Amino acid sequence: MKNSLRSHIRYESAWMRYILRTGLALIFLLITGIAYSQNTQVAGTITDASSGQPLPGANIVVKGTTTGTTSDRQGHFTLQVPSLQDTVVVSFIGYNNKVVPINGRTSINVNLKPQTVSGGELVVTGYTTQRQRNISGSVSSVDVGQVNKVSSANVLQKLKGQVSGVTIESNGSPGSVSTVRIRGVNSFQNNDPLYIIDGVQVQSNTLNALSPDDIESVQVLKDAAAASIYGARASNGVVIITTKQGRPGQLQVTLDSRVGVATPVNGYNNILMQKSLNYFKVEKAFYKNAGLPIPQNIFGDPNNPSVPDFIWPNDGNTQTYMDDQGVIHYGSDQTTLNAYSFPNNLIMRGSAGTDWWDQLFDPALQQSHNLNISGGGDKYTYDVSFNYLDNEGTMRYNNFERGTVRANTQFETGVFTFGENASFAIDKTIGGMPNGTMGEDTPIGNLIKMQPVIPVHDVGTWWASGKANTLGNGSNPVAESWKNRDDATNHNTFFGSVFSSAELFDQHLKLKTQFSFDVNRTNGHNINLPTFENSEPNSVTSFNEYFNKSNSWTFTNTAEYTQTFLGNHNVHALAGVESHRNVFRQIGGSIAGFVSTIPGTDSQYISSQLADPNTKDVGSFGRRSTLFSYFGKLDYNYKDKYFISGTIRRDGSSRLGPNNRWGTFPAVSVGWRISDESFMQWANFLSDLKLRGSWGQTGNQQIAPGRTVDQFGGGTGDTFYDITGSNSSITQGFTRTDVGNPDLKWETDTSTDFGFDAGFMDGRLQVTFDWYKKVISDLLFAPVVPGTQGAANPPIKNVGKMSNTGYEFQVSYNGTIGDNLNWNVSLNGSHYTNKIERIASGENSFFGPVQGRGGVLNINKLGYSIGDFYGYQTDGFYDSQQEIDNSPQFAGAAVGRFKFKDINGDGKITAADKTIIGSYHPDFTSGLNLGLQWKNWDFSTFIFGSFGNDIFNLTNEFTVFRLFDTNVRKDLLTDSWTPNHKNAKYPMMNENDDVSSNYSSFYVKNGSYVRLKNIQIGYTLPNSFLALLPGLSSVRVYVQGENLFTITKYPGLDPALPANQTNSAVGNTADQGRGIDRGTYPHNRIVSVGVNIKF
Amino acid sequence: MKKLHKIFGLAVIAVVLAVVFYACDTGNFLDVSPQGSLNSQTLANKTGVEGNLISAYAMLDGWSTSTQGLWGVAASNWIWGDVASDNAYKGSQSGDQPNITSIELYHWTTSLTDQYLNDRWRALYEGISRSNATLKLLHSVSGMSQDESDNVEGQARFLRAHYYFEAWKMWKNIPVFTEKDEGDLKATTSNEGTDPIKQIEADLNAAIKLLPTTQSEAGRVTQWTAKAYLGRVQAYSGDYSGARTTLKDVMDNGPYALADNFRDVFSVAGNNGSETILSYQASVNDGEPNGWNGDYPDRLEFPHSGSPFGCCGFYQPSQNEVNAFKVDPNNGLPLMVTQPNSWNNDDANFDSSRTAPVDPRLDWTVGRDGVPFLDWGKHEPGWIRSRSYSGPYSFKKRLYSKASGAASSVGWSSFQLNSNNLHLYRYADALLLLAEADVETGHLDEARQIVNKIRTRAGQAAQGPGTGADNIEVPINDPSITWANYQVGTYPPGSPYFADKASARLAVRAERRLELAQEGHRLFDLRRYGATYAEQVLNNFTQVEQNRRPYYQDASQFDDIDAKYYPIPSQQIDLSHGNLVQNDGFK
Repeated sequence: MKNSLRSHIRYESAWMRYILRTGLALIFLLITGIAYSQNTQVAGTITDASSGQPLPGANIVVKGTTTGTTSDRQGHFTLQVPSLQDTVVVSFIGYNNKVVPINGRTSINVNLKPQTVSGGELVVTGYTTQRQRNISGSVSSVDVGQVNKVSSANVLQKLKGQVSGVTIESNGSPGSVSTVRIRGVNSFQNNDPLYIIDGVQVQSNTLNALSPDDIESVQVLKDAAAASIYGARASNGVVIITTKQGRPGQLQVTLDSRVGVATPVNGYNNILMQKSLNYFKVEKAFYKNAGLPIPQNIFGDPNNPSVPDFIWPNDGNTQTYMDDQGVIHYGSDQTTLNAYSFPNNLIMRGSAGTDWWDQLFDPALQQSHNLNISGGGDKYTYDVSFNYLDNEGTMRYNNFERGTVRANTQFETGVFTFGENASFAIDKTIGGMPNGTMGEDTPIGNLIKMQPVIPVHDVGTWWASGKANTLGNGSNPVAESWKNRDDATNHNTFFGSVFSSAELFDQHLKLKTQFSFDVNRTNGHNINLPTFENSEPNSVTSFNEYFNKSNSWTFTNTAEYTQTFLGNHNVHALAGVESHRNVFRQIGGSIAGFVSTIPGTDSQYISSQLADPNTKDVGSFGRRSTLFSYFGKLDYNYKDKYFISGTIRRDGSSRLGPNNRWGTFPAVSVGWRISDESFMQWANFLSDLKLRGSWGQTGNQQIAPGRTVDQFGGGTGDTFYDITGSNSSITQGFTRTDVGNPDLKWETDTSTDFGFDAGFMDGRLQVTFDWYKKVISDLLFAPVVPGTQGAANPPIKNVGKMSNTGYEFQVSYNGTIGDNLNWNVSLNGSHYTNKIERIASGENSFFGPVQGRGGVLNINKLGYSIGDFYGYQTDGFYDSQQEIDNSPQFAGAAVGRFKFKDINGDGKITAADKTIIGSYHPDFTSGLNLGLQWKNWDFSTFIFGSFGNDIFNLTNEFTVFRLFDTNVRKDLLTDSWTPNHKNAKYPMMNENDDVSSNYSSFYVKNGSYVRLKNIQIGYTLPNSFLALLPGLSSVRVYVQGENLFTITKYPGLDPALPANQTNSAVGNTADQGRGIDRGTYPHNRIVSVGVNIKF
Repeated sequence: MKKLHKIFGLAVIAVVLAVVFYACDTGNFLDVSPQGSLNSQTLANKTGVEGNLISAYAMLDGWSTSTQGLWGVAASNWIWGDVASDNAYKGSQSGDQPNITSIELYHWTTSLTDQYLNDRWRALYEGISRSNATLKLLHSVSGMSQDESDNVEGQARFLRAHYYFEAWKMWKNIPVFTEKDEGDLKATTSNEGTDPIKQIEADLNAAIKLLPTTQSEAGRVTQWTAKAYLGRVQAYSGDYSGARTTLKDVMDNGPYALADNFRDVFSVAGNNGSETILSYQASVNDGEPNGWNGDYPDRLEFPHSGSPFGCCGFYQPSQNEVNAFKVDPNNGLPLMVTQPNSWNNDDANFDSSRTAPVDPRLDWTVGRDGVPFLDWGKHEPGWIRSRSYSGPYSFKKRLYSKASGAASSVGWSSFQLNSNNLHLYRYADALLLLAEADVETGHLDEARQIVNKIRTRAGQAAQGPGTGADNIEVPINDPSITWANYQVGTYPPGSPYFADKASARLAVRAERRLELAQEGHRLFDLRRYGATYAEQVLNNFTQVEQNRRPYYQDASQFDDIDAKYYPIPSQQIDLSHGNLVQNDGFK
């Protein structure tokens, strides 16, 4: 008690200062608020041009001012205008704006045409809303209608290619989390943007709990001027999502349903060997060229091979066959099928060619249903929605299912508004490869390993796999998926906010307080069943289960002031304080040695009666962190022509050192609407031209909490030891686990942006362009320390520096042909260059976190981009012994093998000749939207392209070099080096060649691609049909296809790769190893039909 | 105006309320301590010191979850000591762990070798770091009696000496620092002008003074452990007269004795037997959910596919090593000794059909087709992953018997994790070092007697039919033996093989190879025997082996540099800011 009392007193003076400052600001606002007067009134109705229905909630604004209103539930409005000679601009989300000169009228009726490309009217820019045309920072508004044509469970995945400057990576596993990067890569780890939903800071996995149908708008704050209001965590950009709010007007009920069928965009059966005997030809060549005896245990006589009748771990030398009497012969032994016993004597039939892809992937049903009820009166609005989504994976035993309920309400009384936004979601994931999982141990990794001669099942009822020599070390991927078919991960997510605001002085001053929360509960379990059928078998069953809780709250208080002085000076000011706290806790346990060999769903628990009680293990851990911030923003424009805006934010973070935990992040931006200048009036083709420039700073503190002090600890597999020699018990041991750094401070991103927004031909052609440079200094990062300092996690330091330079643009055009045909086209493009400017003192490079069988393959090197590919540079093949003799000395050089370049010119090829051989960063990415509307028909399509990015195809370790006797590429047989085919793609097939498989430029392929992401045709039923069913106001049906075709030279499965998730003690290091193909869950081609019914 | 006042008042109240709400403990709001970890204060006492010491012991298997690293960290030195020598092949199949192939074929400047070197370096220095942390903490705490304090200090200094010795064996030129030098980058990273042996001997001499002669817990080191280890260090560093004095003291006055029969040394039942000087105390089903205390870095060495284990078939004995176990039918002495030019002429699979007489230790060391494999049944051809690649033999020496029940119930391929201790130093090793010192100092007959002691013990038991726990070991002439002809002879007094230094050297070295085969010593022994000798043996080995295992055609020459040390990991050189210098010859 005493302590807390003291702290109250201690901080009282600081708070008094704050209160005084706030108070003074309020007085200033108050005084200026008095100078307001009212003018003349205009009234009218806003309707939908196509249906004639009234449009409630449309915005009507006097052009060049902030004066405006919205239409009521009958579409009516009344507006005080300065003069009847003014012009009003009418806008409504999803409709084209209309500019209407009042021309002295007091009554105006306006009809709006539904739009296919959004211009983005009012945009949410952090604690406030601004008009797009008045923003001088770089903010991209997303066309939600367009985005929602992509049928993914996660809104982030839908954004791919729709926003310039934003990179999105994902895979085809339903419900998988996407990796979003805004304007390059900022740090060695933790580059996720900040996500704000309705003012709530949420974790990226909360986005999986958000039904995309609930989204009203998405804004991406890209430059510091826009983002620094969120200073603390805005270094990676901010994605702001607002959900649908009701509008005053009649009750509107909307039902959206979509059902589709998904199939993978590509299959490994197009790439890998499918016929057992063809595979044997490869195997034979590998042994023959190495001078080794050719194995006969599967295919028998190498000169006359045949598919064996049966396979099991026999004597390793001789093929198996069954005679007419049903006797199985192997070597000199014989037996019958009765010899089969589970699990000790498994027998399988040889397969002439198992299509593993076809066994693992099936067409899948994907559906989504959304019911939205919204409306409101003069003093209240509501929007309630229910969503159910069920996405079956194309991989077997893979499913993502989600139900959400959302209720957004708002009530006004006098100057006060009270409201809440709340969403509850339950989702469940089973199987698949969520979170971009890749690698050998995944179903895809194992599929690559399965030879075609292995059947899916053995002669009993059990699964078959490679339990015989020369069949590799894979695990049957169908079995693996089946065994994990009950392993569910369940999330319950409850997030939202409660707020109240007061609008004072004729709405010039708005005070708002908001308490928001993000509550996540995750539980999951998975079983590890025996793999008796494997060549590397696992014979015990183990099971683990965990429960995570994460609670965050954010408390925000803002004061906002908007005023126009002397008719032309428009001022908008914002001040606020915010606190944020997150508490995470996990409990998990495991047990092994189940009594039942294959426990069913009723016995998958951590319970001593079910398994070996001595193996039971339980543990819990947690994390806590807090943030506290002050912020302010001032926007000023003169006549909507000259804009200046300043932001400042001061943040304190619990993750940083006590002396350095506060950081201040200023930003300033200017804009000039040059088109409004009199000297530009000659350019009558130009309807709008605004030049923008900004400079600002944002911060990043996303590191594991608690790293400011040394931490000690231990683990049973780390520091504990059986000092008593009991062989069955361990004594506790401790060591330093983490080295702290009390001086940790903010990582700072300084960003400069220049751009323009231009409109031509009455705004039908819109062009936006931005150039930027971001320099991130004091990069939070734990440089590798010498091994002599021990293995404790090294201290995190503010040592690195990185930069991103780039440009991005968007061009759109809305056109009409005749009265009935509207069309539009929109193209965006982005380019960035990422560069590592400093690592640590004297440090030139460090390796990335991804390791293949051949070691590391990424390097982070000074002067290059993060995560560049690293290896030898190939230089053709050694075609002759003479060529070897005349080449730099290289241990392992042989005819038919890859020749590598002597990069450092020392006359020999060593590890020092490894160099940068590629980069995952694209040179250019682009999205193209096309839309057509003709009478009741509408059509749209979206094409995405990525150019100049490399992919490191790590699957070549298996599919080309046949490590572990895996399956191989079909063209290996025809395009490998032989003395008669020296101009080959692949080196000579040779079992003993462990040289060619060294990581080299051979693995690096051009990953450029262009993909038709979406094509949709819709038809809106005419009113005559609607008349048959009173209560229906609109019915639209559509059919669409996604990912229908891809143009690429990439020889792997799918060039659209997810980011491979890796972690270090500092955080997520995925950006040090993107663009690596270790066998990915491909994206899906989805054909679906949908209906949108409005009641 | 009144209305305005009221509104203004309301506004101020709203803001004030909001701010007051924050002000509740905002000072502490940003002070959040790390969750679920210990801090330096909690451990500044006897419990903390003991815990730090235990963590230093925990590195004895060469691995922990915090160091990670691949199989090159294994304290058994199976890769650095045996695969890199004439004893063993990498095993498994080509392409599996290509790093080990690079080490095996003397491609030591490749990045593949570098990665394993780096792993081993980091793990050994973690052992040193934990030992230093124990000593540093010990100096700072009060409340421990002098005996308690001496005991901890002795153990920590012993462990530090052990980790330094392992590092010295690998690289010779290594940074040497103590708890007093920590934090000094130059002292902790420079390997120029350091004298590791001096530091190791200082620590061991201190440990001898500080430690008691017995400890209540089997895993703790004693004065005798330190003394025996000092003898080892002296022998390895060429101080043969010192080694002879120290090891003779251990032999005459110490608590150690050879186990009754050879297999007992490697059986679970024989853990911490009379022959154990230092071993890693393995444990399973001990509460560690992944079985990580069960000889984790040595897990890959079980026979493959068709065997009861199923994986992974590494560390396969070489044809050369199998041939080395053949004895002269006339006197039961190693063919290596009696026919030094022709003992290795046999290229064919030495399976159970072959009748040439062999040392019974062969079938405790090597899995051969048709020969019972402890009590797991007969070794079959299908137990080998790729015999055309790496030959027909399996690793056997340290594997546990079926009857022992030593396997873990948890972890991936749980049978590979087991509670059989790993010997880091055993009495036979010490005796053979003494014999070596005897030879080098001219006491040839004492050397002969030690060798005979070892050989006599070797003749006590052979692999039996293994149909049950009771017949895994049988007398070497047991009628149940149908798969081999076992014979062990001793060197009689006046034997010509001990008549002069050169002959005695050959006999002692041959004995050491047979006794300690597949225990990770071979390359380090060869280096100790001298560069010329090591080069001759290993180049001859790769020459012959090219015809047996074609991938040896890719082997590089083993040169006098390789006979000195391994290259310093280049990643560590990069991190040392110029303080760490590459070993000469690898620059």
